[in-house]
Amino acid sequence: MQVYDSAVKQTPVISQLKAIYASRGLLRLLIARDLTVRYKRSVIGIWWSLLNPLFTTAVMFYVFNTVFKSRLPTGQSFLPYLLSGVLLMTLFNQGLTMGADSVASGAGVLTKVYVRPEIFALSSTISSAINFFIGLIPLTAVLLISGQTPTWKFPLIVIVVGCMTLFSTGLALLLAIAYINFDDSRSLITIFLMALQYMTPVFYPISVLGPHTKRVILLNPLTSYLQVFRDVFGANAVATFHEWLMMGGSAIALFLIGFVVFLRQWPKVVAKL
Amino acid sequence: MSSEKIVEVTDVKMAYRRTRHRVSSLKQTAIETIKRRMEYEEFFALNGVSFEIARGETVSVIGRNGAGKSTLLKVVARVLPPTSGRVIVRGHVAPMIELGAGFNPELTGAENIMLYGTLLGRSVQQMKSRIEAIGDWAGLTSHLDVPIRAYSSGMVARLAFATATDETPDLLLIDEILSVGDEDFREKSAARTVEMMNSGCAVLLVSHDLEAVKKMSSRAIYLENGAPKVFGTPEEVVQAYLADVHH
Repeated sequence: MQVYDSAVKQTPVISQLKAIYASRGLLRLLIARDLTVRYKRSVIGIWWSLLNPLFTTAVMFYVFNTVFKSRLPTGQSFLPYLLSGVLLMTLFNQGLTMGADSVASGAGVLTKVYVRPEIFALSSTISSAINFFIGLIPLTAVLLISGQTPTWKFPLIVIVVGCMTLFSTGLALLLAIAYINFDDSRSLITIFLMALQYMTPVFYPISVLGPHTKRVILLNPLTSYLQVFRDVFGANAVATFHEWLMMGGSAIALFLIGFVVFLRQWPKVVAKL
Repeated sequence: MSSEKIVEVTDVKMAYRRTRHRVSSLKQTAIETIKRRMEYEEFFALNGVSFEIARGETVSVIGRNGAGKSTLLKVVARVLPPTSGRVIVRGHVAPMIELGAGFNPELTGAENIMLYGTLLGRSVQQMKSRIEAIGDWAGLTSHLDVPIRAYSSGMVARLAFATATDETPDLLLIDEILSVGDEDFREKSAARTVEMMNSGCAVLLVSHDLEAVKKMSSRAIYLENGAPKVFGTPEEVVQAYLADVHH
């Protein structure tokens, strides 16, 4: 029989992770809900989610192609470089904002029935990941059109997406706490996200940067995700071992930090929902 | 087994820290902190509440609006962690508080039954096997494949009620004895609630219906400003409450 004792502290991370694993049935239903609500009932369905990244890519390609095309190393192609950047940043942004929102605006559920709120954040980031995999279809088409072929490293994309899911879940949990505490944190976050976007080599090749700027950009963990993704997908970048390490390390670190901070803060903020 | 304690609430306090001038933005917080003007005051929504409920017992909570009744339900439902004190709940809880939490208008009736039941802590397998029975009891069998945004509000309420009451829990939390839908369904749902309350589970009932409190509960608590003012038999508690209200 399950026993709830409010005096037992909820901090041990492992037991909480186990609780989340035990709720995987609910997690699956929530993911199905997210995807159903987004696609099934709209006329163009699943393609809707691709409209935004494809259109953004088209505009950026039109504007930047002449400037940056020649700056990529030989063998790399600007269009797949650009689209892979846009798709991965969409995955990050979407997972982060939807994950934070699903917790911060979950008052209708989270203050009525007992559910681990982390499950709501996870369902958003995982459904964004599924979205991303759908986006790989046009990306593959663009790759082939550009005269490239996917490399043998192709299956390693799963690792990139897994790391990104952990990374954005951790950040989403931190963001949810900020959203609940401060009404105006949303607009600040929007500014921060925009800055982060420009500090990530989405549409410019790293080689165009000056030595100092380059060092700063390489410190941004998102850069490592992009580098690794472009490397494993179509060899439009060369990811160093250091970048693999940074990707995996930042994923685990941010997930754990977000999770631990959330576990401590949630009891204090839930009354404000 | 009838003496088995399902709920043990010991000296529970629920404090909200609120700022004298309501501050909810980062900008304001920064300014106020620099000016050293952040003044907090503690406000107790619950202040030293203790009681136990054994299996088969019904404990009622009465009091004015804002006395802390709903907060108490949420603390026992595990939604709000108490600031101090201790809450122990043994077994499965069915919170009948604002039914239909998590209902999504874009999902079909069947999908909402699945999601809502699972949110209430039941397993996916169990819910799958119960969809038809729940839809049937709600009288919505022919509507289960339709998104509930096409339902009337009464139909949504019926679906929520039927899902929430599909299983007899160890502890039932009731915020007013609900009767939903049209006349037929009102009777049916009220009857089912009473049936559940009499099924041998523990019940924590919050109600303004003093007659129902007297009729159905084993003991009652009269809450005032978060603190238990009178605790005892339903008759004496209701009498004390009425005496206060009429003065």
